[in-house]
Amino acid sequence: MNQAEGNIFNNLRIVELAGELGAYTGKLYADLGAEVIRVESLEGDPTRREKPFYKDVPGTENGLRYQYLNTNKKGIVLDITTPEGKEAFLKLIPTIDLLIESFAPGYLESLGLGYETLSSLNPKLVHTAITPYGQYGPYKDYPYSDLTTMAMGGMLFLAGADNDKPALAPDKQSFFQADLYAALGSMLAVMHADLTSEGQFIDVSIQESVATALENAIQTYDLEGRIRRAAGAVEAGYGTYTCQDGHVYVMAAMGRNTHLWDPLVKWLLEEKIPNAEVLQGEEWQEPDYRKKEEAKDVFKEIFEQFSARYPKNVLYEESQKRNVVIYPVNNAKDVLENFQLYYRNYFREMYSESIKGKLTYPGPPYSLEKLPWALKSSAPAFGQHTVEVLSELGYSIEEIKSMGERGVSYAK
Amino acid sequence: MLSKRPLEGIRVCDFSWVGAGPYTTRLLAEYGAEVIRLETKTRPEILRLTGPYKDGIPGIERSGYYSNRNPNKKSIDINMKHPKARNLVIKLIKVSDIVINNFTLGTMEKWNLGYEDVKKIKPDIIYVTMPTQGSTGPHRDFMGFGATMSALVGINYLTGFPDKEPFGTGTNYPDHVPNPAHTAFAITAALWYRRKTGQGQLIEVAQTETALAVLPTATMTYAANGTILERMGTRDLNAAPHGVYATQGRSRWIAIAVFNDDEWERLKNVMGNPTWADSEMYITLAGRLANQDELDRMMEAWTQQHEAYQLMELLVKAGVRAGVVQNSKDLLEDPHLHERGYWIYLNHPMMRRHVYNNSPVRLTRTPAQISAPAPLLGEHTDEVLREILGFKEQEIIGLREEKVIG
Repeated sequence: MNQAEGNIFNNLRIVELAGELGAYTGKLYADLGAEVIRVESLEGDPTRREKPFYKDVPGTENGLRYQYLNTNKKGIVLDITTPEGKEAFLKLIPTIDLLIESFAPGYLESLGLGYETLSSLNPKLVHTAITPYGQYGPYKDYPYSDLTTMAMGGMLFLAGADNDKPALAPDKQSFFQADLYAALGSMLAVMHADLTSEGQFIDVSIQESVATALENAIQTYDLEGRIRRAAGAVEAGYGTYTCQDGHVYVMAAMGRNTHLWDPLVKWLLEEKIPNAEVLQGEEWQEPDYRKKEEAKDVFKEIFEQFSARYPKNVLYEESQKRNVVIYPVNNAKDVLENFQLYYRNYFREMYSESIKGKLTYPGPPYSLEKLPWALKSSAPAFGQHTVEVLSELGYSIEEIKSMGERGVSYAK
Repeated sequence: MLSKRPLEGIRVCDFSWVGAGPYTTRLLAEYGAEVIRLETKTRPEILRLTGPYKDGIPGIERSGYYSNRNPNKKSIDINMKHPKARNLVIKLIKVSDIVINNFTLGTMEKWNLGYEDVKKIKPDIIYVTMPTQGSTGPHRDFMGFGATMSALVGINYLTGFPDKEPFGTGTNYPDHVPNPAHTAFAITAALWYRRKTGQGQLIEVAQTETALAVLPTATMTYAANGTILERMGTRDLNAAPHGVYATQGRSRWIAIAVFNDDEWERLKNVMGNPTWADSEMYITLAGRLANQDELDRMMEAWTQQHEAYQLMELLVKAGVRAGVVQNSKDLLEDPHLHERGYWIYLNHPMMRRHVYNNSPVRLTRTPAQISAPAPLLGEHTDEVLREILGFKEQEIIGLREEKVIG
């Protein structure tokens, strides 16, 4: 088989039932060439209504997160709670390899669209359900948001020190995590179905996905009986410090290793920073000493006299020449102007038909030599592909029009 | 009925260490891949020397940081600096499907084990490399870690409170889920491609770029609107109240998120409809967003009177999105996770019974299995040499005397 025929993504057809979850799962497939059909309800995908908007103008098509998560997909509108909508959805099932959905456990069954029904129509179907707490267990019906699943999954607690309130990471990381695991599990299952003709149901829990990102916190309690919080900020030479134009993140302390510490101290001495010689003392090799409030204060005072002299990018580039690790704390503008990312053409521009404007998108998360990643089309407008997809299923233009008039569907 | 695990029969020659690499191969090992880690006692994997340790006593066979990333794997003790090591590795690559490393650029090439070299040894190999910032460009050789990467890509700037310095997630976050899960997804796609075509391929994962793929909003907003998004504690542009509120007990909070008027009404009912909540300021989402400082103060005065889990029950039963900010002890005691079999306890010769997390993805027909604890350093050297590579007992003794293997 040649390369083009071997491109499994070109032969994959996927349906997503649009919700807050699963869009990134589908995007990973769509950006590698799979046909992904996003089925929205008449209320529309909730991410369409999320700020920030393109040009700060609210509108169905203008949500930037929506635009990002749905590149290269088709979009149709169908009310699967009506008999006709249900029928159309069931007609799609035999044509697809993978269904991605995020309804509350039991909801699709209550509509007569549960896995048993779908699987009887397509035994090879992989049905991936992404929910906050999974399909069973005492919390399965708990309402959720990214904040509450980050909390219940344990990652939120780590983003703070001492008795301080924790901070939430940007961009709904708990949803990305669950979507990523869903993509991996789905790929394994679709590949298995291709070989054996056996489909299956996949249960993905956000809480459990988040709980895989706790570094060593679980083991710290299990083995040492300690409850840990943030790793940085508790030790001299490890964490955030101010510089001339903002902040830098320093990693000079690493257990009892001194290979990052010594060259930094040498640099401070060269720069004739007052009291820098203090940092040559043997006590600084001890993590326990570096964690003392006094040590943290001394280091900060010495180091910031140095860092105040330079902008973050100068410290960053110069540090690498000296085997010192000082990184810039970048904001979005800094990231877009980062020389390395610019050189590698990471960010991609594409005209989005639905917003009538050009967007800049994060680029490929990996490069596969023989499975090309590409941005080919922007996120679908509401109902953009309804006619195309329903026609393929055998509906006439009149029937589609009538479904629109009766509120079963919407076609743009 | 359960079927064969999807990656059974796949062998991984695993040069990776520390962060994102071993986490990636763990995901493969869960689904049946035979992962063989190449380690050496002359320079043990950093995580073996990083706590927590069993009973707090350091030791290369006692680290929980190492153990949770390495269940189901084999470990061979091989000194890559020895001239005879390469021949042994070549034999292993010849019977492997995947070669993976996350070294700084040039390390594999120094051993003549870059992609081009390895392709000559095993033409259909899937070769995975995870350079921090990619294999091209002016910063390709820069030294970095998960935590520094978080600063570089903008996670830290956006994680923290507006009146305080950027904080970040408190972890090496990109090493945990974003990089390993993307990489394992790409590897699986390449395996499937190979099944169809008989061809291997090169996979490159530039870890900063992978992390940026899950941080779209700030860069897209700056590019489109010229606005720099700022950190906002636990708030959200689309919801209020949206935060973490103190409850009874030290370092004990509840997360509550209210996205619309209906949810606000439900929350008010749980609070017993206090008069302050009926203020005109809070009728609409726009009003609640504009008056968050005061709203949060009033909310917290109420939450502080409650025990966190009891309050969560009251709120979720009323349809309000809420969750306790759970710490590691809470998670290990979480009744829901227990019912789902999320925590798995395995016995280890040195660490005894200790905990691993299960996979968060339940493939009902071909589930993940975490069945063996992390390997001792070199635990499988003889087994791999004898049973997979066909070495005779005398040859193994010879290699050990020459210090090629440990």
